[in-house]
Amino acid sequence: MQHTDNTPHSFKDEVMAEPGGELLQRCYSCGTCVSMCLVNQTCPDYNPRRTMRMVMLDMREETFRNPTIWHCSACDLCHPHCPQGIHISDLMRAIKNVALRAGYESPLPSAKVDEHKCSGCDICEKACPYGALSLAAKTIDGKERKISQVDRSLCMACGICAAACPLSAITVEDYSNEKVAAQIQAGHWLKKAKSGDPKVLVFNCSWNLRAEADRDAMSELPANVRVVNVPCSGRIDPTFVLTALQAGVARVLVAGCQPGECHYKQGTRIAQGRMHTLNHMFEQMGMDAQRVQFVQIGTEDRGRLPATILDLVAELKSSTVAVA
Amino acid sequence: MAKNNKLKIAIYWAASCGGCDVAVVEIGHNLLKLKEAADILFWPAAMDFKYSDVEAMPDKHIDVCLFNGSVRTSENEHIAKLLRAKSKVMVAFGSCAYEGCIPGLANLYNRGDILTRVYQETPSTENPDGVIPQPHCKVPEGDLDLPEFYESVKPVGMVVPVEYSVPGCPPVASQVWGVLEAIIAGKLPPVGAVLGAGDRNLCEECERVRDGTKVKQFVRPHEVIADPKKCFLEQGIVCSGPATRAGCGRPCIRVGMPCRGCYGPPEGVKDQGAKLLSAIMAVIDPEADVEQLVSQIVDPVGTLYRFSLSDSLLQQIKWQEAEKK
Repeated sequence: MQHTDNTPHSFKDEVMAEPGGELLQRCYSCGTCVSMCLVNQTCPDYNPRRTMRMVMLDMREETFRNPTIWHCSACDLCHPHCPQGIHISDLMRAIKNVALRAGYESPLPSAKVDEHKCSGCDICEKACPYGALSLAAKTIDGKERKISQVDRSLCMACGICAAACPLSAITVEDYSNEKVAAQIQAGHWLKKAKSGDPKVLVFNCSWNLRAEADRDAMSELPANVRVVNVPCSGRIDPTFVLTALQAGVARVLVAGCQPGECHYKQGTRIAQGRMHTLNHMFEQMGMDAQRVQFVQIGTEDRGRLPATILDLVAELKSSTVAVA
Repeated sequence: MAKNNKLKIAIYWAASCGGCDVAVVEIGHNLLKLKEAADILFWPAAMDFKYSDVEAMPDKHIDVCLFNGSVRTSENEHIAKLLRAKSKVMVAFGSCAYEGCIPGLANLYNRGDILTRVYQETPSTENPDGVIPQPHCKVPEGDLDLPEFYESVKPVGMVVPVEYSVPGCPPVASQVWGVLEAIIAGKLPPVGAVLGAGDRNLCEECERVRDGTKVKQFVRPHEVIADPKKCFLEQGIVCSGPATRAGCGRPCIRVGMPCRGCYGPPEGVKDQGAKLLSAIMAVIDPEADVEQLVSQIVDPVGTLYRFSLSDSLLQQIKWQEAEKK
């Protein structure tokens, strides 16, 4: 159904008629949601308060023309703080749905499925926090098979599915297995003299770097630390961790968000399950379980990530000296 | 042996249970076809052969050697090297040879732990003098030698190069015959391929119903009466199917057991356990307590790396740590 400016409904009515859009008019533009919003901190054009205001003012095309309306990942950090009890992510979803019907598309990158590799095992569908993946019958090489398909309008490109897929059939472009490996290896970091300081590899959820001071501190880390930023700690396949350790890295630190504050709802819980099971396996093998570490950084834990990394580096240095 | 153009085949067992030899016998009447097309020059599990028979062969005399079993002792290693030299094509046949299999789980312990357990601690053992077998010992009748029991178990491919691998504990009969047919017809794929199995995972073949249920708790198969029609993983039972190569025909699933993982990782996956862990933790229920879920996977190495431990990255890291010490 195509809506144009001539439709009898106003834009506001249309959004309010959409599931999740009902409470629009409760908003009195206090901006509390914006102050809580992680997206707004890295992408100031994304401003839920302003978007809601624009909808109320029937600024249809102007709203749709802003590419950031697609950025809300429903982390729901704002929701408990809204004095009017508006579930803002539901409202943003309602706006996205109206935009989709009007023929607009999400400009965000999305997961892609390699249909030849996909077995239709359905792990991704259960893993996706957004319901963006589902199975559909398709004819591949003359055979009808069930294949996973991505709904681009729902996909937030967190990469949880890419790590979950047992066949590596799903790729999120900028964070493919190959690109993550290339980031680790850049400048031949892994091959650099083994006699140097023990290497620390950090897989960091990029939403951990909110404060300018944190970003600065991260850029000043010593050369034996390599930080690979990923959209979500749920993108980290334990294979990445083991591959790095096998290549001679002394410690791998995976940093996710505090549960309940995860930008992609479930990613940090998934990472926690994976990394803590890895710890158990290291213990069972009689290996040093400290080689894999997992931390969850809260939205207000400013400075904690660089401090954790530097502590780890210092501890490693002292333990190496002690052994020698 | 009469000179003829028949294919020359050898079948050997190293550290294995014998199931892979039985799997060859399980091809049934096709054994007659095998006999028609090939001479079996060496098959100690089935007929009487001596190592000296093999030693006497010129190099590359055997066309194809199906080597089952992993390398645990100096004898296993010696014969692996001997057969490698005498064979044009060497196939790691079955899970032990391919990836270490169940014997590989002994790598959770070291040689000393294992010998103490077996010769001193097991309830059925009576060994008041605490005798532990030694590679060399002197008795009044003379010197005795035993093969050396190595520190760890290795897949045969880590000891000598192999051209192909056939997964399975054991490989199922239909696949075994398929592989033998390909060998007889001379239609082998490029070197390095996995023979007698599919490319993707077991879930592709599985008929159990998946309705999208997420895992609220992990349970072991004996702790629940599982719904015989539903996906094991959706019932919280760790099933290796998602990270296991298809091709077995699902004998375990059909009798109500989750996939144990014996067909090894699917094409393109290097570490089966890590991939299985990645998949099962991605489907946990948003309401479930993560730490509880983690603790519910009792014996994570044995569950996730049941067949592939000695060929895993985890194992490599352990060996590296041991070397540093």
